[in-house]
Amino acid sequence: MKSVRPGLPEFDYIRAETIEQVSELLKNGKPSRLLMGGTDVFVQMRDGAFSPAILVDVKHLPGMQSIQKTGNKGLRIGAAVDLNTLAGHPEVVKSFPLLAEAAQSVASYQLRSRATMGGNLCNASPAADTAPAALVLEAILVAQGSNGERRIPAHDFFTGPGQNALQDGEILTSIEIPPPPKGPVGRYLKLGRNAEGDLAIVGVAVLGYADKTSESGFRFRMALSSVAPTPIRVPTAEDILESRTIGDETISAAAQAARKTAKPIDDVRASAGYRSAMVEVHARRALHAVWTALGREA
Amino acid sequence: MTEKVGPKSFPSPIGESVPRIDALPKVTGEAKFTDDIQFGADLLYGRIVRSPHPHARIKRLDVSKALALPGVKAVVTGEDCKDRFGLYLKDRYTFCKERVRYVGDPVAGVVATSENLAEEASRLVEVEYEVLEPVLDPVAGVQKDSPLLHPQLKDYTVASFIYPKHGTNISNHFKLRKGDVEKAWSECSVIVEREYRVPHVQHTPIEPHITVAKQDRSGQITLWASSQSPFAQRDLIAASLGMSPRDVRVISPFVGGGFGSKAGVSMEALAVIMAQKVPGHPVKVRLTREEEFYCAFVRQGLVAKIKVGADAHGKLVAMKTEYYWDAGAYTEYGVNITRAAGYSCTGPYDVPNVWTDSYCVYTNHPVGGPMRGFGMPEIHWGIEQTMDQLAEELGMDKLEFRLKNCLREGSITATGSAIHPIGVAECAAKAAEAIDWGEKESSSAPHKLRGKGLAIMWKAPAMPPNAGSSALIRFNEDATVSVGIGGQELGQGAHTIAAQIAAASLGVPMDWIRISGPIDTQYSPYEWQTVASRITWSMGNAIIDAAKDARRQIFDLVAQQWEETPADLDIRDGQVISYKSERSEPLENLVVYGLPKEDDSGWRGGPIIGRGSFMPDYVSALDPETGQGPRAVVHFTAGCQAVDLEVDTETGKIELLRVVSAFDVGKAINPDQVRAQMEGGVVQGASTTLLEQLRLDEGFPINASFTDYRIASTMDMPGENISIIVEVPQDDGPWGARGIGEHSMVPTAPAIANALADAAGLRILDLPLSAERVFNALREKEGMP
Repeated sequence: MKSVRPGLPEFDYIRAETIEQVSELLKNGKPSRLLMGGTDVFVQMRDGAFSPAILVDVKHLPGMQSIQKTGNKGLRIGAAVDLNTLAGHPEVVKSFPLLAEAAQSVASYQLRSRATMGGNLCNASPAADTAPAALVLEAILVAQGSNGERRIPAHDFFTGPGQNALQDGEILTSIEIPPPPKGPVGRYLKLGRNAEGDLAIVGVAVLGYADKTSESGFRFRMALSSVAPTPIRVPTAEDILESRTIGDETISAAAQAARKTAKPIDDVRASAGYRSAMVEVHARRALHAVWTALGREA
Repeated sequence: MTEKVGPKSFPSPIGESVPRIDALPKVTGEAKFTDDIQFGADLLYGRIVRSPHPHARIKRLDVSKALALPGVKAVVTGEDCKDRFGLYLKDRYTFCKERVRYVGDPVAGVVATSENLAEEASRLVEVEYEVLEPVLDPVAGVQKDSPLLHPQLKDYTVASFIYPKHGTNISNHFKLRKGDVEKAWSECSVIVEREYRVPHVQHTPIEPHITVAKQDRSGQITLWASSQSPFAQRDLIAASLGMSPRDVRVISPFVGGGFGSKAGVSMEALAVIMAQKVPGHPVKVRLTREEEFYCAFVRQGLVAKIKVGADAHGKLVAMKTEYYWDAGAYTEYGVNITRAAGYSCTGPYDVPNVWTDSYCVYTNHPVGGPMRGFGMPEIHWGIEQTMDQLAEELGMDKLEFRLKNCLREGSITATGSAIHPIGVAECAAKAAEAIDWGEKESSSAPHKLRGKGLAIMWKAPAMPPNAGSSALIRFNEDATVSVGIGGQELGQGAHTIAAQIAAASLGVPMDWIRISGPIDTQYSPYEWQTVASRITWSMGNAIIDAAKDARRQIFDLVAQQWEETPADLDIRDGQVISYKSERSEPLENLVVYGLPKEDDSGWRGGPIIGRGSFMPDYVSALDPETGQGPRAVVHFTAGCQAVDLEVDTETGKIELLRVVSAFDVGKAINPDQVRAQMEGGVVQGASTTLLEQLRLDEGFPINASFTDYRIASTMDMPGENISIIVEVPQDDGPWGARGIGEHSMVPTAPAIANALADAAGLRILDLPLSAERVFNALREKEGMP
C-alpha cells in the first residue's frame, strides 16, 4: 500500500522562458521535472513517486498555449493548451470534433481547466483519453531539444505504460493535426464507472470517411485506450472495414477484431474479462455511430 | 390559532420552508471550518505512524531517530495512553500498546513544527512486527479455531445492554426469540432462504477529519474538532485520560459533513495524547483523503442469512435471521449497530414468529462505526429482496404483499411491543402511485431492459435509553433571542430547524433568533450526540421546554405587574398579550431590564433565561435471552422508495430513470429540508448501491482514494427524483415531528435490486450492483461463460 504524504515535498519552481533555458536546466544534474498543468505531476509527487529538486514550468514558452491553423486545414495545438480551451475552440469543434469530444471526456471541468493535451499525452497513461484521438487523427508530436526539432508520429510516441519516445532534454511543444480526410466522422466512446470524472475502463475512438480507392468505399481508423500497455491502433479492424461491404456483419467482425487486439489487465476499476467484452461493445457502438452519420451524409 | 395579534401579521414558521440560516456564510465562504482557525506561531503539527499489517504484535518500537530530527518536539506511543476508551465497549487504546489490529492502526504520533517534517520524522520511527494470522471474514471469525483479536475481552468495560462472548471474537451477541419459529415453518406454504453480502463503504464527507488539541498550563485540554459529538468526545476522552469532563473542552465550528463518521471518538484522541507532551502548544492533526478511507470509521460489512415463510394467503408467519457483522478491529461503537439490526430484523412487517442472532465480530479490517442508517441499509438489502422473492413465489403483487403484511398502528413488533401510529402503508401506496406501479413501461433501446421495484423500511434512533438534550434561551436587550444548543449543524439543517422551533415555541418572529455557535462544551448546553436522526425530535423538545420556562418567567412577571393570572397571558409576535384585559406589552420592554413597579418603589423581574431539557424516560431494557421488552426504542420512522430503471444488457450499466421517496416524518417542520434529505438520501443510496465498496485485499485497502473509489456525482442523479411527505404525528415529537436524515438511503439499494429483478429477471445478493457484476450476472443467466 502506498503511503501518501500530507503535502508536497519542497521544490524550486522555475518558469522557463526559452527552450534553451529548459535544456540547460534539464542538463544541470539536479533532479528536475517538467510542469504543465500539474494534475498528474503534483499527485505523483504527493504519492512519493518522485521528488524533483526543480519543477520547470514550460507552459509559458512561446506558442505553448496557442492553437493555430496550418496551411492546409490542419491545426497546430500548443502542448500546454488546457483541455477546456481545446474542447471549446471553434477550429477544433469545426474540423476535429472527435478531438473536442475526447478532451471533454477527461476528468472534470475543474481539472480540465488545468490539464493540458501535451501533459495528457506525455504522461503516457494507457488510459489517456486524448491519445486514441491523436492516434486516429495521425497527429505529429513535435519535440524540441538541444539538437533542434523532432517530429514524432503519434503511433511511435507511446512506448510503454508511463513511457514515451521523448529523449532526455527534449520537450513536447506542439501537437500537429494533419488536414482531415474529406468528410470525416469521428466518435470517442468512453466507459467509466460513473458518468463523469472516472478514468476509462475502455475508450474507443473511431474516424471514418468515404474513399473510392478502398474496396468498401470507406476507410476507418480505430484506436483504443485502457486495454493495453499503451493506447493502440487496431489495424485488423481497419482492414476488415476497408475490404468488406459495410453493414452490421462487417461492423461486428471489426469489433471482434478490436477485442482480439486488446490486451487488457485486471485493475481496481474492472477485470480483464469485462474490459475485453466492453472493447467489443464500444467498438461496435462507435462504428455504428460513425457509419450511421456517414450514411446520412452520403 | 390563526388569530393575528399585534401590528404585524405573525405566521408560524412551523411547516414553512424557511431558508437555511447557514446558507449565507457557507456560500460566501465566511463560514470557518476547523482548518481555517488561526493559531499563530505556537501551532505544531502531528502525523501518525500506522500499522502496515492487518494483525501483528509489536516486538520493538524505537522512536529515537525521529526524536533526533531537528524540529521534532515529541513522539508519543501506546505507553503514553492510560485507559481504554469506547462508547459502548471500552476496547481500544488511542495508540496501540502491544498489538495492531488493522492496516492503519496508530502506533506512534510525531509532533513537529510543520506537517511535512512530522511526516518525514514519522518515517524514521522504527517498528518491528511479528505478523499474526488475520481474521478477514466475520463468518470465519466466529469459528472456534479462529485467531483471537481481543483475548482480554472479559476485562473490558461494557454497557449493560451489550453482550460480549469472552474467549471469542464476538463482541456482542444480540438474541431475539418471539413465538416458535421452528414450529411455524410447518404453517408456511412458501419459504425463501437467502444469504446476502454487504461490503464496507466510506462516508466520504467533503471535509476530512481534523482536530487541533491543546493542553494549557492549568491542565485543561481544549479540542477544536470537526465533530458530530463534542460532548461525547469530552466525556470519552476525559475518561480515557482519568480526567474530569470539566477539564476537557471541545469546540466544534462548522462541519463539512459527517454521515456518522464524526460521531463518537475516532482520531480526535490522537491529537490529545500528542498535545499533552507539548503543553501550551496547539497540535493539529488532519487525515489525508487517503487516510479518511480506512483510518476513520467505515460502514461495517455484513453477511446476512435470512429465511422467511408465509402462509397460503400471503401472510407472513415466520422469520429467522443470522447477521454476521464484519465490525473491524475495534467495535466500541459497532456493537450497538449489531443490537439495532437485531431488534429491527423484521423490517416494518408484522411477523408473529421471529428468531434472530446478530453477531458483532472482530475482524482485522478498518474500525466499523456509525454511518447514515446505522445498520438499516445493510439489513434492508436482504430483508426487502427476500420479501420481493416471497411475493414472487406466492404469485402476489409485491405492493399488495407489503400492504398486507406491513405494520399498522398496534401491530406487535419483533421485540413484543405495540407499534405507535406509523405511515408505512401510506408511504408504500403513495410511492407506488407516483411511479405508476403496475404499468409496464417500454425501454428506450432494444439492448435495454426496463423495470420497477420498491422497498419499504423502518428505523429507530439507536442510542442509550437515556440520551438527553438541553437548550438555553437567552433574551437580548431588544428581545431578540440567543438560542444555546449542543446539537451540531452538519449540513443537514439542524440549526435552521432549531431556530424555527425556538421562534414558534416562544412566540417571536423567526428573524429574532440567532443560534449560539460554535458548539462549545464550555458554553453550549449538553447534547448527547448529533446522530440517529434524533436532533429535530430530541433537541426540538428541549428547545420547547426552554421556551416554556422563559415564557413562565415572563408571565409571572407580567401577571404580577398587571395583577392578572399567568393563564390569561400569551406571547404573540414578540408581544406579551392578555386575553382577559387585552393589554399588550412588547417583550423588549421587560425581558432584560424588568418592569418598574407602579409606585416607583423599584423594579421587578430581571434578565430572562429559559432552560430546557429532554430525555426519554420510557425506553426499557430488553431480555438478554429473548430480546423482548415493553418498549425497545423511542419510535420508528418508516417510508418507501420506488424505482423505475433501465439496464443496458451489453454493459451491465443501470440507469435510474425515476426514484420516488415517501417517508412518514410525523410533521415536516421545514418541508424543503425534508425533501432535500430525501433527495440526498437517494443519491447516497444509489451511490452505495451502484458504485461504492472499500476494497480490502487480505485486509489491505486497495482503493483508498477518490480516483479508485468512485462516488456518485450530480451527473449520476436519477432523471427524476420525487419526494413525498407523509405526516402521521409522533405523540412526543415537536408538532408531531420525527427524524428523516438517515432513513432516505435505507431502502434505496433493495428498491434498485428489486427493479433490476423486474427488468432482467435476475437476483444479485451482493452489493454493489456494479456494471461489471450486473453484466456477469446477465451472462450467467443467458448461460454464457
